[in-house]
Amino acid sequence: MATPTASAVPAAPPSLSLPPSQFARLQPHAYLLAHLSPPPASNQPSIRANGRAPAQFRVTSANSGSLTHTNGSAVVRVGDTTAVCGVRAEILHTDDIASWSVSQASSGNTHKRRRLGDLGGKPTEESDDTYADAQDDEDRAHIQDLNLLVPNLSLSTGCAPGFTPGAPPSSLAQSLSHQILSLLHTSRLVRADDLRIWYQPPNLGREDLERHNEDEAMDVDAGPGAAGLSKPREIKAFWVLYIDVMIISLAGNPFDAAWASVLAALRDTKLPKAWWDIDNETILCSDDVSQARKLSLRGFPIASSFCVFDADAAAAYRAVVIPKADEPKRRGFKQTWILADPDGYEEGLSQERACLVVDKESNGQGKTVIVKMEKHGGWIIDTEDLRQLVSMSAQRWDEMKQILEQC
Amino acid sequence: MNDRRRVNGPPGGTRPPVFQSGLQSSNPSDRPRRQRQPAELRKIFLKTGLIPSASGSAYLEFEPSASLAANRSNPKSMIPPSSALKLTCTVHGPKPLPRSAAYSPNLVLTTHVKYAPFAARRRKGHVRDSSERDLGVHLETALRGAIIAERWPKSGLDITITILEAEDDRWWGEPPDSHDASWGIMNVLAGCITAASAAIADARIDCLDLVAGGVAAITEDVGASHSGSGRLMLDTDPAEHASILSACVVAYMPARDEITELWLKGDSSKAVLDDGDSRQGHDALIDGAVDAARGSYSVLSEAVKESILNAVAHA
Repeated sequence: MATPTASAVPAAPPSLSLPPSQFARLQPHAYLLAHLSPPPASNQPSIRANGRAPAQFRVTSANSGSLTHTNGSAVVRVGDTTAVCGVRAEILHTDDIASWSVSQASSGNTHKRRRLGDLGGKPTEESDDTYADAQDDEDRAHIQDLNLLVPNLSLSTGCAPGFTPGAPPSSLAQSLSHQILSLLHTSRLVRADDLRIWYQPPNLGREDLERHNEDEAMDVDAGPGAAGLSKPREIKAFWVLYIDVMIISLAGNPFDAAWASVLAALRDTKLPKAWWDIDNETILCSDDVSQARKLSLRGFPIASSFCVFDADAAAAYRAVVIPKADEPKRRGFKQTWILADPDGYEEGLSQERACLVVDKESNGQGKTVIVKMEKHGGWIIDTEDLRQLVSMSAQRWDEMKQILEQC
Repeated sequence: MNDRRRVNGPPGGTRPPVFQSGLQSSNPSDRPRRQRQPAELRKIFLKTGLIPSASGSAYLEFEPSASLAANRSNPKSMIPPSSALKLTCTVHGPKPLPRSAAYSPNLVLTTHVKYAPFAARRRKGHVRDSSERDLGVHLETALRGAIIAERWPKSGLDITITILEAEDDRWWGEPPDSHDASWGIMNVLAGCITAASAAIADARIDCLDLVAGGVAAITEDVGASHSGSGRLMLDTDPAEHASILSACVVAYMPARDEITELWLKGDSSKAVLDDGDSRQGHDALIDGAVDAARGSYSVLSEAVKESILNAVAHA
């Protein structure tokens, strides 16, 4: 009688234990917490359920220029999240802009005069600060007011079970599209100058005089008479960039992947040479690749997202707050972890998110510039943490720059 | 009408760029030439399981034609000579039907085909148009015959296809007023069928057999002495042929020698096949399309085998 009971006792525990994958589904919070805070006796490092260290980003790969019908395209894969971005350029005639003639007349002569001086070439941003400031205003006016950049992100590609295809864009897709748009505007990535299509009216054989006036206009305040002699060149049309991002596979952190694909696709974008054809009264383009030019982008902003995993989210609500008391640093007994580049599983377990977009001046040699900083959903990340996140994002910048430049 | 849930472009609308070379009557000799034998198919890249959040997924890509590959390695023109199909397919399910749905003893299949806005030569809208809906219906009929639907009562299966790059309907240099059927959609459908079948197998849905798509067309030689003399070509790239009389796409199950979907376009009745082929036009077309499907089946079965080996290795 003793033998069967003895054999039954060791057989019982396996039937009650669960494989890790089921435990992860049933008790996701406890599962991640157990990974992040292993028992001190086990001597294991704190590691995330997906095997990464808290500050580690996923493996990223990028490839650009593989789509035929685009001016520029890129595929960026961050872990299991994949974003495909295609940039398509179309032409917006100034005739089609309702307020064009009015806004041009009111913008005054100063702009026109500067444009004359600008005929020789595009001055770089570093060369002339005051010039750059004035140009920024004009860039903003043209790119933002005329909607020259049209980013749209689509999640209804079957990328994850929750998104029904065919339905209007979900609120996540709408918010991501809008984040990309506002980041394109605030980072001033695309120069309006690249998107303008100019026309120089012929001056009926007075080229020499025109050249002369143009030199004069740079340093001397040219009188109205001089301006009448040389016909100023005018903007006839703009390029509009339709930037469409398809999230092919979604496994957390879509913004970083989407933004990286937008950046890589814009770096790949080539606009054909375009001119105003006076006979056809339309804009014509040359299909010669050697005449096409790439966009000259400002900077290289890279997004990195973080989320905060809290061991006991309710602790902060329960805590008795004594004003001005010396609050013991909770980090002594570590209760919260900041996880870089969260995957879908971690995103579902965290409330607080942070997203940083950083750039480095003078091609990575200069100091780090924060282009965008966003933090919401909690109060765990403090100033010190943010400082740390910025340096982590700066490291990520180096990594991403290498990946995107090689693609 | 303004779509308030998307970022809209300039309210006045924009125009696609007009190329100067496109205004002049284009030289017919610039048309890309078919470098393959009439019965030679393009290479297909097919891989399953690229999207982990879906129960099954597949990515399919056609080999670029010779002219496109040349333009890509040594770019000369901003106008691509032809294009190569690229699409992803995801399968979600089987999952319970919503409570509000009517009782169904079978698996309810939903297919959804959407072009990316940058997929074709002309920018596509964000909302599905009629041709995309049509493709979805054709795809559904092709797959419904293969899936053993009664094993999942009260369940639904969503198949979503995103076309990243579509086939051309005709050569870009064709005069804009030339009215020709949209032949490219047939190649797209064949690709959709093959990819969807791979994704369904990747999702471990019971099927009678794998379904492979194939395209054949009867083309007319421009310099032919008498009209109506056609040649049967498998896996035609519409950009490479001046005149396609008729084309056919089939969804074919090789193990059972069954066709689940047949779509024949154009007039094949008057076509007389040369090189001593006495078959009727449509017979030859269907046979050719089945041959093409057999070709893509060999790729499909390899991809599915790989998917199963991967699953076994991870289990």
